[in-house]
This record gives sequence, structure tokens and C-alpha cells, in this order.
Amino acid sequence: MARMKFLCDAERCIECNACVTACKNENEVPWGVNRRRVVTINDGSPGERSMSVACMHCSDAPCAAVCPVDCFYFTDDGVVLHDKDICIGCGYCFYACPFGAPQFPANAAFGSRGKMDKCTFCGGGPEPDNSAEEFRKYGRNRLAEGKLPLCAEMCSTKALIAGDGDVVSDIFRERVTYRGAAAMAWGWGVAYGGRGKRAGRNLEGRDSTGD
Amino acid sequence: MTAKPAGEKSQRKPHIGRWLVCLLAVVLVVPLIPYTFADRGNVPNPGADLWREVRQREAPVTGTTQVKGVDTGVLINIRGEQWRQFRMQTLLPAGGMVLGAVVGLIALFYLVRGTIRVPGGRSGKRIQRFTEYDRILHWSTVFLFYLLAVTGLVLLYGRFLLIPLLGPDGFAVTASACKEAHNLFGPLFFVVLVLLVINFIRSNLPKWVDIKWLLKGGGLFGGHASAGYFNGGEKIWFWLVTLFGLAICVSGFVLLFQNFDQGRQLMEISHVIHSSLALLLVAGSFGHAYIGTLGMEGSLESMTTGSVDANWAKAHHDLWMEERAAKGLDENAAPSPEQQSPPGKTAPGYQT
Repeated sequence: MARMKFLCDAERCIECNACVTACKNENEVPWGVNRRRVVTINDGSPGERSMSVACMHCSDAPCAAVCPVDCFYFTDDGVVLHDKDICIGCGYCFYACPFGAPQFPANAAFGSRGKMDKCTFCGGGPEPDNSAEEFRKYGRNRLAEGKLPLCAEMCSTKALIAGDGDVVSDIFRERVTYRGAAAMAWGWGVAYGGRGKRAGRNLEGRDSTGD
Repeated sequence: MTAKPAGEKSQRKPHIGRWLVCLLAVVLVVPLIPYTFADRGNVPNPGADLWREVRQREAPVTGTTQVKGVDTGVLINIRGEQWRQFRMQTLLPAGGMVLGAVVGLIALFYLVRGTIRVPGGRSGKRIQRFTEYDRILHWSTVFLFYLLAVTGLVLLYGRFLLIPLLGPDGFAVTASACKEAHNLFGPLFFVVLVLLVINFIRSNLPKWVDIKWLLKGGGLFGGHASAGYFNGGEKIWFWLVTLFGLAICVSGFVLLFQNFDQGRQLMEISHVIHSSLALLLVAGSFGHAYIGTLGMEGSLESMTTGSVDANWAKAHHDLWMEERAAKGLDENAAPSPEQQSPPGKTAPGYQT
């Protein structure tokens, strides 16, 4: 059985936000919710990196652990989904998630969050597959059609990879091998003076102890 | 090693051996000395900076994103996991144990001591203790407090206790109703609590006699403990309700009105304060309710009818009765043989 995973290759992401737009459009995400976002570190400086993050579909999902009504469930592929009919909108999943994946629509009054919405790995919800009701609540169910999440399909540089964890790992390992780890090789900055291809210049005088 | 005369060999060998060992140590250790002063840590790992910022252990947030919102530039929020561990591994089990322990201790005390009767029996004479306003405030607070307590406990423990009973859909409806009720009556509880605090605060200011009352365990040990209008235990309960209650209300408002761009950290801290103090207050309320009903004969009527038996008042609040006598109230009251308060002791500022 495949174990579905996301991987965003920080070396390839160019912050084009195609994944964000594809997800928002395809799933008709509620107002105020952004299932996927691209975060850029050191924007504008050498050493800039971007990463696309949505729900990571954790094995020991904190959102599922803290939910007071136990509305989360796990598919056989490891995808973490939830039932909006059971959700009471308390917000605990949002507090617990390290990635900020569960979000709430912004069009409700104070104290009333509405139903939680998050990335479903394009896997829909508990409603019957590809039904109108499922689309209205959870967005597209591409997994039931044998397809992979649209964000990864739309990625312009194939930085964002989604699918079977073994295949994703193989792809990434191949990339790392081809690149030769030039940017991230420990010691190259000292040995070859050039600090590698994409290392940031804000490293002078600093070491990995963070002083 | 060169040959030595036999006699000298036995004398020199220990010396040479010792010197050789010293020389060996010197040869091995001295070259290492420069290494202790050498700067070994200055080789940066180019990846470390990036992943340190991704991990986001230090504020401020350094990532930027096109998505506008609070904390959207944060890639990994590590406090979420800390909060999850606290709620699931600490708060839930500890809360259950505290509540269970308090109920158990109260039950044990009742089985051992029983209801504490009015000494000398009831005299039949009534003394006015609480006004109608006092009682309305008290019972409104009680009703709202237990409504909030029950709905809050459903949100905490319902997943484990009620889903097997009600099923997932049935419990979802129940929990949703509990959450809405909790959110609706929370602000109302705040209003009533503030009125209650204002109403009773003057009678609950700490005095030395209360410390003495507490040291005697309220009369459980050490003989009779004098008390005024409110005794030391009642005052402690008042201040617990005031301080914890206000903290619960403030944190509750932060949690309730979540549309003011509160970040996750503020919400997590508010939740920790809110739930921990609320559980403690619920446990305390069991003790207060016990004393006011089963524990002490003649107590409940003070809050239901507003008046108490004169013997009850003399036994449990003798300084209050003295102050009333000094003011000329209760003139018809015959002096009770149980009255043991020391002469000339009037406590100022007690509400009658």
C-alpha cells in the first residue's frame, strides 16, 4: 500500500505560487482559507529559499490527537482527512498543527469559526467519491480518479512532489546525487573558499552553533 | 638500554622507568595543548542556517509569504506540539485525578465525621444573614458556573467518555451545543462574577482572626476557632473564585473573540490558563458545596432563605454575633450558654 507524502525541494522552488493557485481554484476553497502557501526565507538576499507547505498528513497527527469530537480519520494511504459534519469549529487542531494546515473561513462572527478546512491531498472526504456534496464540502477528489494532488502536478519546476513516499524519496535522492550536494555540503565553504553555489553570504563569521 | 653494573642497576631502574613514563606522557599530551585553544567550531554548515529558520525556534518570524494572515510566514510552529503534549498527557489525566481525589476525600470526610450539627441544637430564633440581592447573585453564579463547568468538561473528556455512549454523530451534536453554550454563557458569567465580587469583597478582607481560624483548621483541631461574618475558609474560597475566576474570564475572552489576530501562541497560553484554573475551581467548588449543604447543618438555609439559626451563628460566627449585639440588634436573644467569645472583642467593618 502506498504511503502518501509531500516533499518540497527547497533548491528548486521558485516561489511562483502555482501550487497555491491550483489548489485554491480546483478545490474552491472557502473564503479566508489558504490550504497551501509558499514561505520564503531570506527573501531578496543571497541564500533565499522557498518552500511550499500545506498539510503534511502526519503519521502521529497532532490535529487528530487534540480534536474534542474525534472528527479526523486516516485512509489506508496515510492521508489525514476529517468529517466536516462532526467538526464543531473549536480550533484546537489549528493550535496543535506545526504547519498551520487546519484553517477556518473568515466570514463568520467572532467565536464562531465555522467548519475547519484543510488540504485533503486531493482526497475528498467521507461523502461518496466524486459526488457533488463531496466537492462542495471538501473539494476535488483526485485520488479516487487515480490522479495525484493538483499542486504537485502544476508545480512549474517540479519542486513539489506528491505521491507514494518510496517513489518521492527515490526522486529526491536522485536529485541530491546529481547535484552533488554542492549547496549544502559541509566544509565546502572552508575547503574551496567559494561557499558552494547557492550558499548565502550571511554566513561569514557565523557557525552552526548559532552564536 | 645500556648495560649497567649489577649494583647500580637495581638502584637506577625505578628512576629510569619513572622518567620514561613521564617522557611518554609529555610526548603524547603536549602536542594536544594547541588543540584546546584551536578554533574548531568555525566551519559553517550552509544548510544549518536555512533549517534553523525553518524550524522557527527563535522569534521573530523570518519567512515571508504571499498569503496574508497571522503567522502565515511561520513554516513550523513547535509550540503546537508542546501544547498538544500538555493537553493530552498532563491536563487530561491530572484534571481527572484532581477531580476524583477531591470527590474521594470529601466522601471520606463525610463517612468519618458526618454532618457537623449545630452545637446545643437549634434555638428557633432566626438571624438575618444574606439579603435577597446576595442570594440572587450567589445562585446565578452557581448556575452559570456549573453550566460552564459541565459544558467545559464535555469538551475536555467527552471524546473518551461520551462517544461510546452517544456515537460519533450524537456526540458531535452534543459537543457543538456545549461549545455554543459555553461561549454564550461565558461572558454572562463574567458580568455576574464581577457583581458578586463587588458585593462581597468588603466582608472578605483578610484579618488576623482568619489566620488563627485557619491554623485551628476551622475548629477541626485546636478547639473553638473564632470567626466574624465570614471565616478564614470562606475568605479563601472567595479569593480563589475572584482571582481564578477573573483569570478564567480574561483568558476566555481571548479564546472567544478570536478575530483580533491572536497568534497561535497566545491562544495556546490562554487555553492552558483557562482549562487548568477552571479544573481547580471546579474541584474547589465541590468542597464549598459540600460544606454548604451536607457538611454543616444549618448552612444551606443561609443562602436559600437568607436567615440562620442563632445557635448556628453563635457557634460558627461568634464575632459577628458579638458585633450585632454591640449594635443592639438581636436584643430579644437570650444569651446562649455556648457563647465563649472573649470579652471586649469587636471586629470592625463586618457587614451585618
